[in-house]
This record gives sequence, C-alpha cells and structure tokens, in this order.
Amino acid sequence: MSVASPPRLRPAPLRVLTAVPLCDGHDSAIVTINLELARHGAEVIYLGYHQAASAIARAAVQEDVHAVGLSSYNGGHRVFFREVRAQLRARGAADIPIFGGGGGTITAADARVMQRSGVDRIFFAGTPLAEMTRAITGDYARELRPDAKLRGDRALARAITLAESRSGLRPDPRKTARQRTRSASFVVGVAGPGGAGKSTLIDELAARFLRARRSRRLAILANDPSHPETRGAILGDRVSALYAQDERVFFRSLATRGSLTGLSAAAPAAIEILRRRGGFDLIFVESVGVGQESDPFRVFRQGEKLVDAVLFVLPPHYGGRIQLQKIALLDGADLVVLNKCDDPRASAAKAELGARLAANGRNQLLHTTIAAQHRDPGTDALCAAIGRLAGLESAGGEKPCHLCIGA
Amino acid sequence: MNPLGQIVSAVDAYNAHVASEVRRARVDKKFAAGLRARWKKISSAIETTHSPTGTPLPRLALPATDEPGAIAGYLLGQGLPGEFPFANAAYREMYLDRGERVGPALAAGPSESRKAARRPAAARPLNSAPAAEEPTRLFAGLGLAEDTNARFHYLARHQPSTRLSTAFDGPTLYGLDSDHEGVLGKVGEGGVALDTVEDMERLYAGFDLLAPNASVSMTINGPAPAILAMFIAAAKRRFGPDGVARLRGTIQADILKEVQAQNEILFPVDASLRFLGDMIAWSTAHLPRFYPISISGYHIAEAGATPVQQAAFTLSNGFAYVELLRARGLDVNAFGPRLSFFLDCGLDVEYLVLGRVCRRLWAIAMRDVFGASPRAQAFKLHTQTSGRSLIAAGFKNNLTRTAVELLVAYLNASNSCHSNSADEPFTTPTEEYARLASHAQAILLEESGLFKHTMDFLAGSPGLLALERTVERAILDVFREIDSLGGVLPAMEHRYQRSKIQEAAHRYEQQINSGERPVIGLNRHVGASLADARAAPVPLARTPPRRQRFQVERLRAFKKKNAPRAPEALQRLESVTRAGGNVFAELLNTVEVCSLGQITACLTSVVGKYRPMV
Repeated sequence: MSVASPPRLRPAPLRVLTAVPLCDGHDSAIVTINLELARHGAEVIYLGYHQAASAIARAAVQEDVHAVGLSSYNGGHRVFFREVRAQLRARGAADIPIFGGGGGTITAADARVMQRSGVDRIFFAGTPLAEMTRAITGDYARELRPDAKLRGDRALARAITLAESRSGLRPDPRKTARQRTRSASFVVGVAGPGGAGKSTLIDELAARFLRARRSRRLAILANDPSHPETRGAILGDRVSALYAQDERVFFRSLATRGSLTGLSAAAPAAIEILRRRGGFDLIFVESVGVGQESDPFRVFRQGEKLVDAVLFVLPPHYGGRIQLQKIALLDGADLVVLNKCDDPRASAAKAELGARLAANGRNQLLHTTIAAQHRDPGTDALCAAIGRLAGLESAGGEKPCHLCIGA
Repeated sequence: MNPLGQIVSAVDAYNAHVASEVRRARVDKKFAAGLRARWKKISSAIETTHSPTGTPLPRLALPATDEPGAIAGYLLGQGLPGEFPFANAAYREMYLDRGERVGPALAAGPSESRKAARRPAAARPLNSAPAAEEPTRLFAGLGLAEDTNARFHYLARHQPSTRLSTAFDGPTLYGLDSDHEGVLGKVGEGGVALDTVEDMERLYAGFDLLAPNASVSMTINGPAPAILAMFIAAAKRRFGPDGVARLRGTIQADILKEVQAQNEILFPVDASLRFLGDMIAWSTAHLPRFYPISISGYHIAEAGATPVQQAAFTLSNGFAYVELLRARGLDVNAFGPRLSFFLDCGLDVEYLVLGRVCRRLWAIAMRDVFGASPRAQAFKLHTQTSGRSLIAAGFKNNLTRTAVELLVAYLNASNSCHSNSADEPFTTPTEEYARLASHAQAILLEESGLFKHTMDFLAGSPGLLALERTVERAILDVFREIDSLGGVLPAMEHRYQRSKIQEAAHRYEQQINSGERPVIGLNRHVGASLADARAAPVPLARTPPRRQRFQVERLRAFKKKNAPRAPEALQRLESVTRAGGNVFAELLNTVEVCSLGQITACLTSVVGKYRPMV
C-alpha cells in the first residue's frame, strides 16, 4: 500500500464463510444461521450447498475470513471436514478455524475425531441459536494484521482486508486509472439495477475467458450492501457463480459498510491492489444494484474514473422510456447490455434503449444477451467486445476474439 | 389470466355454487326430495360391521342429518369418499378390514361399474383400486446396492406386500459417480450408492417386481430420468421386455420443488423440465402402472415452509406441471391419473386438514380449469411424518411424535404413509427403530379400531371444517400472490418460494429459541435429554471405507468393460438431446453401457448446469 496516512480505526466486522458440503443440499440450517450472524453484525460470505472442499478452502483464502462454518446433514462429515482442513493447510491457511454442525448426524464421537483432525468446534443438535451466534461472534472475531509470510492469494486477500479496515483511503485523484499503473489488467465496472443479472453475466463472461485462455487469471470484486442498522451483510454472489469457482479466478466479496456510492469505500484501493499484483488480464468490479443517479465508478468526475470501461446492464422490465431518461450512467457507459432478452418485453426495450443511446452520440453499442441461457450468442458477442476494448484479441483482429473460442 | 388466477376463480365459483345449491335445497321442494331420496339410498347401502367387543358400527360415517341443505352441503362441499370434490378421500374405501366391504352401489352407479369392468386391470376406476392396498411404506437406503437389498428383504418380512421405497446417497442424488473427485466419504451415506444398471439389478434382486402386490418407489429428482431408465433396463434384463408394462411404482422427479427447497437439481430449469416431460411422455405410453412424478411438498416443509405454504407451493407446482405437459400436446386425461403427491405431516394444527383441502382444490381445478375426467381429478397422496419435528434430545420421544403425526396423516386419508424412525436425527434408521416405525403403522391400522371398522370415522367435525375453510382461504391467497408474479416459474426466478420458505424457517427457529414454540426435551421438560444429542445412543449405520472403495472398483470395472461401446452411446445421447428428441427414450439405450456420472456429464455438455440461488 502506498498510503502513508494513519488508518482510521474502526472495529472490522467478523467475516465468516459458510457452506454446505459436496452432494448435500440441506441449506435450511445454514441459511438461518447466516441470517442470525448477519443480524449480529457479521459479514457472512455464503458459498452455497453442494460445495467441494477445494472450493471452500479457495473461497476462505480469497475472502480472508476469520472462520469457516460448514453445515453437513448428509453424512461423510469426518472425511469432508478433514479434507477442507487439508485444503486450507495446502493454501497456507491452516490458521483459519473451522466450525460446523449437522444436527444429530454429527455425534460426540465424531466430533472428537474431527477435532483431532483440526476442526475447531462442532455445535451439537439442540444448541440454541443464540448460543451458537454468541460463540461464533465472540470466539472468532480478531484483528487481521499485515503478515509478511503470507503468499499468493492469501497475501492479496490480506492486503484487501487491510484496505477495508482503513477505508476512507483514496488513490491519488490526480492520476487516472490507466496512468497510475502500467499493469496489463483491464478493469470493467459492471453496474445496473438489482435483478438485472449482473452476477450471472459476469460469471458467463468468466466462463468464456477461462475456456479461451489457459494461462492468466481474472479477478472479480463483488460489492454487496451492508445492513444500515446491524452493519451485518450476507454476501451471496459466490452462490450463483458456476464458473468463477476456479483456481484462475480471484473472487472477493466486499460489503459496502455504510458507503453509499454503490461500492465499498475500499473498492478503489482493492482495484489498485489487484492491478499492481498483476497477473490478471481482466478485473470485473460489480457494484451493488444502483439507482438512477448513481455513479459508482466515478465516470462523471474528471480524472477520477476508477475503471477502464463501464458495462451497464438493464433488464427489459426497467419501467419505460421515462425511467430510461433518468439513468445517468447510460450516458457514461462504454458497453450497454440489455439482458434477459427472452422476456417478451425485450424487443420494445431494445428499441427504446437504442434510441436513448443514439441520442448520446457516443457510438455506444447496445448488446442483447440472455446470460442465463447456456452458450448464449449475445454473451459471446459481448465477450468479444470486451476483448477488443481490453486489447485481448488475437493479432489481426479478424478472427473472433479468443476469449470466446470454444464457447 | 394465468392458470392460478383461473383456479382461484374456479374455486370461488365452486364454493358459491355449493352455497347456492344449499339454499336451493332449502326452498326448492322437488330438489330437496331428490336429495333426500339419494341420501336414503346411500345410507341404506352402508353395511354394518362389529367391533371385537360386539358394538355395531357403520362401514361409512355420514353426517347425521336428513335436512336437504346439510345433505347438499355434504355431497357437494365434501363429497362421498371417492367422489368429487374428494375432500374425504380419493377412494371409496381405505384402511378397512378386508373381507367385509360395502357393495359397489355406493359410489359408482351401475353403468359406471360395468364400464369399469371392461377396462384393463391397469386402468381400474378410482374406487376399486386401493381397497386391497397396504398403505405402509418404509424408506430405506444405505451402503451399497446389496446392503439396501438386504434391508428391503428384512423389512418385507414384516409386510404383507412388497413396498420398496428407496433412498439414494448424495453422489447419486447429484448425478455423480462414486469415483468422482471428493465424494468418496459420501458413498453409501444416507442412502444407497447407485452408479450403473448393474447396481440397479442388485438393488431389487430377489423381489418379484411384476407381482400385483409389489411396487417400487425411488426418491430422486435431478437425475431421475437416468435412474428410471436404469430401473427399466434392469427389469428388462430380469423379466424380459414384456414385463416393463407391469412395473408398478413411483419416481419423485419433482424439479420445481428442487429449485424451491431441496437443491438437488443438475441442469437449468428449462432443460430439466424438458427431460422430465420426455420421461412422463414415455411413461404415460409404456408404463401404465407407474407414477413418473411425485409432486412433493415434503421437502418444502422440511426446509421450513408452514403447512399452508407447503400445500400452496405443492399444488401450484402441480398445476405448473399440468400446463407444461399440456403444452407438449399431452392429454390431461392420459397423464393426469399418473400424477401423485407427497406431503409432510408435522404437529402443527393445520396438518389435521391439509390432505383434505389439497384433494378438494386439486379436484376443482382439474375439473373446472383443465377439463380433466374423474380419474385425473383425484389427488393421490403419500404422506411422510415430519423429519424436522424429530430431535436428538430425548430422542425416544420421537416415537410419540411420529405416532401422533401418523394418526393425523391417516385422518387425512393418505393413500400411503411412511413413518420416520426415532433415531433419524442421528443416522440412517437402524433395524430396531425401522421396525418400531413400521409397527406404529400396524398398531394404528390393525390393532386399534380407529380406521379398520368405519370409513371417515372422524371426518367432518365442526373444528376440522372451520380449519379447512381457513386453510383453503390462506392457500388461495398464496395462489394470488404467485399469480401476481406471473405464475410459478417467474415467481421462482424471483426467489419468491425460496425466500418465503427461508423466512418461515428463520421464524420457526426463533420461536424455538424464545420458547414460544414448545419442543419437549429441548426447551421444555429438558431434564437429562440433552445428553442424547451428543451421545447418539443407537448404533450408527455408516458405510465402512472399504465398502466405499469396493463400489469405486466395481464402477471402474463397469466402465472398463463398456469402454468400447460407451463413447458411441454418449454420442447418440448428445445428438438426440441437441436435436430435441425424446431424451428418455435414448437413455434407455445409454444406461446399458454408461454410468450415471457419464450420462450427467454428457447432458451437461449440451444444456449446461443449473445455476443455484441463495
């Protein structure tokens, strides 16, 4: 970090990763516990059900969590918890404690075996919710400090954690994003109203990227709102990430922690950290669902633009032409995407949106996608457009963007 | 208007019709005389039986009235057992002692009986089929196929009929092979490991699946088409191709509730529904005695839904399937009778009437909105006692909980019931508790006099009728909400059902936490019962690692043996899937040489994966 001013200290919220093991869909208990933890001010990064040990350990490292919580009801817990422990150790994260529960399926005898293999704590059937919440928020909260021994994704994740706890720091506003570093990373800011399909679109773009390029990585910074009163948050973007759960993706969830810009106050610093670290061809920054006046990526503030390109996503049900006029970011977006084009309202929306963009006179290209559809050609075309903007297309430029090969 | 909107209107219209007929019965003398004459005929046809102590009892309990309005209210509002709108029962007789039965004049007129007699056995009319059916079902699945097979043989010793209700392990439920990376510890846990058609042969070995009193039920959803294809392929190997049409059973295959609650879905929703439609279309034509879907509220309730939500989501899912199948060009009267339902029964008071209300709403909608014939109007209900209500603390109390729930399930005229084992909070049921669960049913149906002498013994009490009306209204309110979101599928995309279920689950836990919802042994009368929660006072049914490795070796041998033929079979499956052909028909070939995991991977390559929701 290039920042010299003393950090503004505030107690960082507890960050917990929760998940349900592979081949297990019993998420009722963990969803309830997620809600309770968030209600008590924790940031819960929820990975979802049917999750492999490797995906859990990868997420724990990238999210730099205080603890990992696993809810297992389908048996095989002795082996599975041990595997998560081993995966964490292999990633230099043996210090992240694992807790878990599984109603009556995890017995005291199991728990003894599991504790010997490095599991911190098992909550038995009948443990009151309040007791569980108290134990988790009490036992695992601690300050995460700089640690020169950390390597790889762990070091990267810790740098972002530190940026989060010192939020309010801002990169030098006199330099634009491209001038600040000479990193090859191309940063795409993704904004749009809630329900537009931003997460799905990013995941599908990631899938195409991963298929096409064997060597380099990409990063995703997913911003989600904190609750204004409890300060807790459930960061669930990983749940629907099918393809971004990959060793070649660095995925980090950021809670806004009171920031009203649509991004965490630490997002600029996190972007900067990712750029500097290098090795990322593309960095996607997903804002929270934005309102009409929002400008999360500072497009309209001279010289302060946070990203290299802004991708604005809209669903066909945005509420009519008048609403469209009010969306400021449509004037500043480099790529405009009308998603969910299998909706019957899509053709009318396409015409309205096309007219709106034509009036801008900025040659903004309108993309139409059905991101949720397997191998959607519209998403292929969008991927190619991003590839051109990012300078990732193959020499000659005639061939299809190599991001999309094999899609 | 969406079908759910139409259904709400149809129910309102039907209720208004009943009310107006009741009024007419009170003023229209001719109408009243007709009703009285019919009532007299019905009443006089009811035979008398005797309790073991000699007390005479009617075989059917009817309201004690001869007031025409009350008669009209009963006949139209509830219907005789087996008659529209089926509030009392889907069939004319259930659970009664064999041997002495009411004559056929009661429910079906003579002309209908004659017609029925000409129908093939597989398409018997509603009112005659289940009289000889044993309602008891016991769910089993543990270890490898031969372990579950041994459990089936053990359980079958205690049952007059062969009812093989099968649970699968996690990898199978997610369409993965036992040698898939990271799943070894899950192989054979919580259900049977099933990778290939050869495992399927082992699973039901030694049972005559073509016997009239045999049926198989398979609790699997995402990979259901491949699993049913293996079942058929295994049956062909054993009984020859002609046996297939005689197979009886049910496969769960309910994709919508997977998205809403249970989370075992492999492919995107539209692709999953297409594969399901292919399977139902094939089954309707070739498996006349098989239920190719069990539309399930059980998992919706287990995930936290209230009884009203369970009923509303299950029924609305059912209507969504009807629409989808009709949109494929299938005839509602062909597939309608092959739809079956599966509900949870817990201790909340609404469960006293849930089955009754569901049968009534289903019948009205099927008749008045979808134009279905009587056989497609009957809501055939399997009930399972609530797993969620069972707790580890003081676990023997679970015997009582299950017994009470079972009583409530039979009061709802469930066509079949599964009673949970008291040790389920800890483990796949051990033999001891599986036997106790089975005996609970025998005690209720055979030993006690509650169900065996008189049909509808406790139906129609003032409390139940008041509750029925309230629950029905609440279900219709949920229908309206789903309708306002554009129907079941759009509501699902908006996470409507999931978020409602999650809210209810959270509230339930908070109520237990605060003591507002008493749970004996947990927040009341605790005593020493919490010790159970840690000690697991039963021997645990777990699959030893060497058995898990054995399954993997066996699977690898199968793959090696079929390596020359598998690629071509998968290629064919892929092209049929791409070309929009009937995937199920092709799966019947694929399963001969391919494992479940190979099939899942092949289909995923064409249609993609399901993208989960929080």
